[in-house]
Amino acid sequence: MTITLTVNREERIFSGDPRTPLVDVLRDHLRMTGTKAVCREGFCGACMVHVDGAPMASCLLPVGSLDGAAVTTIEGVATMEHLNAVQQAFEDHDVVQCGMCFPGMVMTMSRFFQTNTSPDRDEIKAAMTGNICRCTGYERIIDALMSIRTNEVTS
Amino acid sequence: MQNNADAAVMNFPRRDARDKLLGRTKYTIDVGGSEVIHAVLLRAEVASAQVLRLDVEAARSMPGVRAIATWEDAPGAHGIGIADHPIFARDVIRYHGEPIAAIAAETLEQAHAAAQAITLELAPLPAVLTMAQALEKDAPLVHPDWKDYDILFEGAARGGNVAWEATVARGDTDAAFDRPDVTIVDGVYRVGRQSHVPFEPRAVVAAFEDGRHHIQTSTQVPWTVRHVTARVLNIPESQVRVTVPAVGGGFGLKFDCSLEPYAAILAKKSGRVVSLVNSRREEQMTCLCRENAEIRIRSAVTADGEIVGREATVLMDCGAYGGEQVFLTTMTAHTLGGNYRLGSVRLSSRAIYTNTPPNGAFRACNGVYNTFALERHTDEICDAIGMDRMEFRCRNVVGDQDIGATGQIFEGNVLRPMIDRMQALCAKHPNGRENGQRLDDGRIYGRAMTVGTWFIFVGPSAATVNLNVDGSATLVTSGVEIGSGSMMHALPQIVAAGLGIAPEQVIVKTADTDAAGRDLGVGGGRTTVSIGAASAAACDEVRDKLLAVASEMLQTAPEQLVLADGRVEIRGRPGSGTTIQKVVAEAETRTGPISGSGAFTAPGIEAMPGCAAGHFIDAIDIPVFAVHDCELAIDPDTGQVEILAYRVVQDVGRALNHRAIHGQIQGGVVQGMGYALHEEITINDQGCFDQTGFEAYRLPLAQDVVPIEFDLFEGAPSCGPLGTKGAGEVPILNVGATIGCAIANATGKQVSQLPLTPPRVLALLDGRDEPLALDHISAVWSNNTLRR
Amino acid sequence: MDITPYPKLFLANDLNEALRALRELADSAIPLAGATWVMRAPLRCETADRTLIDLSRIEALRTINIDQQEAVIGALATHEQIANALNGYNDLAALAQAAGHSANPAIRRMATIGGNICTAEFAAADLVPALLALDARLEIEGLDGSRTQTMAAFLEARATRAHTDLLTRLIIPRTQRTSTHARLTLRKAGDYPVANLSVSIALGAGGKISAATVAVGAVEAVAKRWTGFEEAIIGHAPSPEKMQMIAKTCLEEFDGRDATDAPGWYRLRVLPGLVANAFSTLQETTLGRAM
Repeated sequence: MTITLTVNREERIFSGDPRTPLVDVLRDHLRMTGTKAVCREGFCGACMVHVDGAPMASCLLPVGSLDGAAVTTIEGVATMEHLNAVQQAFEDHDVVQCGMCFPGMVMTMSRFFQTNTSPDRDEIKAAMTGNICRCTGYERIIDALMSIRTNEVTS
Repeated sequence: MQNNADAAVMNFPRRDARDKLLGRTKYTIDVGGSEVIHAVLLRAEVASAQVLRLDVEAARSMPGVRAIATWEDAPGAHGIGIADHPIFARDVIRYHGEPIAAIAAETLEQAHAAAQAITLELAPLPAVLTMAQALEKDAPLVHPDWKDYDILFEGAARGGNVAWEATVARGDTDAAFDRPDVTIVDGVYRVGRQSHVPFEPRAVVAAFEDGRHHIQTSTQVPWTVRHVTARVLNIPESQVRVTVPAVGGGFGLKFDCSLEPYAAILAKKSGRVVSLVNSRREEQMTCLCRENAEIRIRSAVTADGEIVGREATVLMDCGAYGGEQVFLTTMTAHTLGGNYRLGSVRLSSRAIYTNTPPNGAFRACNGVYNTFALERHTDEICDAIGMDRMEFRCRNVVGDQDIGATGQIFEGNVLRPMIDRMQALCAKHPNGRENGQRLDDGRIYGRAMTVGTWFIFVGPSAATVNLNVDGSATLVTSGVEIGSGSMMHALPQIVAAGLGIAPEQVIVKTADTDAAGRDLGVGGGRTTVSIGAASAAACDEVRDKLLAVASEMLQTAPEQLVLADGRVEIRGRPGSGTTIQKVVAEAETRTGPISGSGAFTAPGIEAMPGCAAGHFIDAIDIPVFAVHDCELAIDPDTGQVEILAYRVVQDVGRALNHRAIHGQIQGGVVQGMGYALHEEITINDQGCFDQTGFEAYRLPLAQDVVPIEFDLFEGAPSCGPLGTKGAGEVPILNVGATIGCAIANATGKQVSQLPLTPPRVLALLDGRDEPLALDHISAVWSNNTLRR
Repeated sequence: MDITPYPKLFLANDLNEALRALRELADSAIPLAGATWVMRAPLRCETADRTLIDLSRIEALRTINIDQQEAVIGALATHEQIANALNGYNDLAALAQAAGHSANPAIRRMATIGGNICTAEFAAADLVPALLALDARLEIEGLDGSRTQTMAAFLEARATRAHTDLLTRLIIPRTQRTSTHARLTLRKAGDYPVANLSVSIALGAGGKISAATVAVGAVEAVAKRWTGFEEAIIGHAPSPEKMQMIAKTCLEEFDGRDATDAPGWYRLRVLPGLVANAFSTLQETTLGRAM
């Protein structure tokens, strides 16, 4: 079966088992390794992508269901010269540690800040229920996110 | 080292953040492409069995298969202290998940299909799944041939299912317990395993190039991987090269060689580049966990609160092979036997074989549960003699010239002033609440403060610094960046300060055993201290060479020259000197490029002779102390525990990067909260874990945590560079203890076990279970040793 | 000989296509809704090579319509869509809350009500007790015609159901009642619940409970109505403390299941507290508005 989908505004074609999880299509076939497969059960958020603008867990999306869909990955939300507001806040506050959770964190929270003005800490934490971090203990990530002004989010 | 300690202190941002945020960083799991083939391990699905037949012929001819490996390809056994561990099961299976064969094929699916085609005939054998079972008279032996194993380190007692026994005996505890003026307090404690769950699982990519193995691996210990791979393959170590890409978390899981030898064998056999990655399920089910343990402590205490005698036995489950637990028997003395002055002490630490997955090292290792047991016991002593918990600790914590369990003499008063600092920190937020008080929502309030002792794992490290013609410097070590940031913060800061250049000008080479000297590995505070010290020594040599040349150029004695801002200046006359670039250019015409090398190893503090047997480290060179305070609320309807506030005073020697240490404290305490309240591993009667993934193994999420308030205690004696101690490991040390004691204080119940999950807390509140009993640990201490 | 033309994931354009594929492929095919359960098959060590009949293109299965008589929810509506669409309707609050707090935000965006209630092995589903408490009817269509079932009858037949017919719509009658959903997770959020509870009540004279339907999930393998408790609370004021007291006397009809996340005794032990939470929420939100 041949599936055609748009990834980061570029048409890509996948020919293979349509039940293949999107995360594996991205990582193995398209060699876009920024999206991480960590838990493969939808709990950790490291595999988050946007499908037609909505953050979803790519480990649980069979690629066959996405024929014609528009997918954005971590590679597509910024350029090397210009990070988006969430990424910039994380860099400015020097919160990154091992880094494996951050692509998924960026995908979830970039969308969150587009649709939520001036969230408080509890709202941010609730939005992060599906993004686990094993290194940082979260609070410095929240500090960085609290510093974002919503009109600066560009993703 | 020139006096530039202050120049090294800064919140230097880490340079790898941007690529990580963009998803550009290539971890070992990201190495791939069409030239890479994929390997899987065939793992045992029973805990204990005899292998009657293993036949891989059918698998060999399956589509896409390029190589298969079994025990025949890896004749050697490895281990710590004892060489008890073959990498493949041969005649016998000892644990659920033990590798039996390794298969490499063009695709992962083909490798899995081939694994299914392997014929494996087993005859079940009896299994010991708990330490109590393992210690029974006539228990089946996990290693019937234990007597024949190579001993790699002398001095311990071994026998039967006791893989390793380390003991401490200082003074006369019998006399102490016989005193008429003492109260004897006896307690038992039990803890379960904890799984690291680094987001990047263990992963390796191996190739065979120019007659040598090149192993790219997600590891904390490139030299251990080199050594163990060579040993089990029975080849010279020089035939193995290990390089390390960015590591997606370690926490100690990657402090051992694990998947690398399988990939190495398959790469040589197939002639291809082989990738082997643990699935998350495999990673959970064969994790080298923080071990489960059972502890009995018995203390004789006077009415004044003097501890005149202490005896303890710690049973440490090493699983089917000794591994790290053999080494960690050493750390009971310095943790359970630490914190407090002891008149006399006897300790028995026993690593016990069971037919379960082997355990390993996890951030502060057995220090975490030893501190839990010790601080629970300490509070129980306070209750027994009617002394305030704070007063007891203030009286008894070790200070300057006090003697440790193995007789070492401590330098400096550290713990006592740290307790004062904690009280000052707490005084900023007085709330007048009492233990056991009901809050407005009906929850029960609890609070506790604990102290802890850990150590910096000093040991051999080497570094080379190459001074480049553009004024930058390249630092070559075997250090690995596992996420904590010491390769990104402390090391460039130390080198920059040593050479008077900006930290942005320090290039930190990623680990390559072909490039740098031997190193014990990253973990236990080693990067900042051991690798940092080696780097500082290398800078000294570079500095001497640089100033020798500059001295001639500037016609000034080297003692009158300083390095600052990328220049060599005459002391007291800024602008008078020249740039480092000019000096380097001049040096290259005279003698050649400038570089320096440095090394560091344990200075070797002395223990009292005869105190410690079977110990790898008799006395700790750099102790690290911690004081934690916790306030929590318990829901009496559900047993859920919410942390209301958590405070840390940590002994850091000197804080090189305050922001980075904050990150380690926040992260380490949260891992400790997981250990104390959420993360549970249960082993079923098949000898395998019930918790196989993220659904059942519950890591703390964002809503489960609070911001940690902290105060960094500086100035304690340390032979680390610039007086530093490592700060990344110890934040987890006291968390189980502090939360356990706060729950005990809140409820008035006997808290003896971790994790304190909601069902366990509710059972405590309801008085549902019998108090913990560990009948297989004798009240007579000597009965818990092999050498009676 | 039939040569099946179906790829391993078949995107059905309409219900008939899906039903024909399911009939033709029989045991070798299963329907696919949000995919969040099916895609975890490897973690459950399920190795069957099955064709997935993807229903996500069938627009008719996604619609949500609420009028004064009933709320009609398509089987492919996601938790997030349901939570948004049902927000503000007092009588439907149990389902809105159940859908709004399950799992985590991304899963709520992907998982469907159909998948949640059709998965027989999923004891901790949040939407099942909500639908039981709200007296939902289920419409099921096959190639031979359609039928309607109550939620309870559907649950009874669920484990042995063949996949040759499909759940298409859930129909919830509108009432003057107020409802709520409560769930207990071991962490603050993000877990499957160890016990959950949906309550729908009507208040009569003097603010006393005149009718009640209460359903409990996760405590046993299949959610069910808490009939003893429903009868016992009639005539009482819906105060959380009183409801909790009554709940403690009505636990014998449950046999708590032991599982890796929690033992059976714990699920029963926390139920009365969960009842108190549910009635507190009712007092603070819907009852407050209804009064």
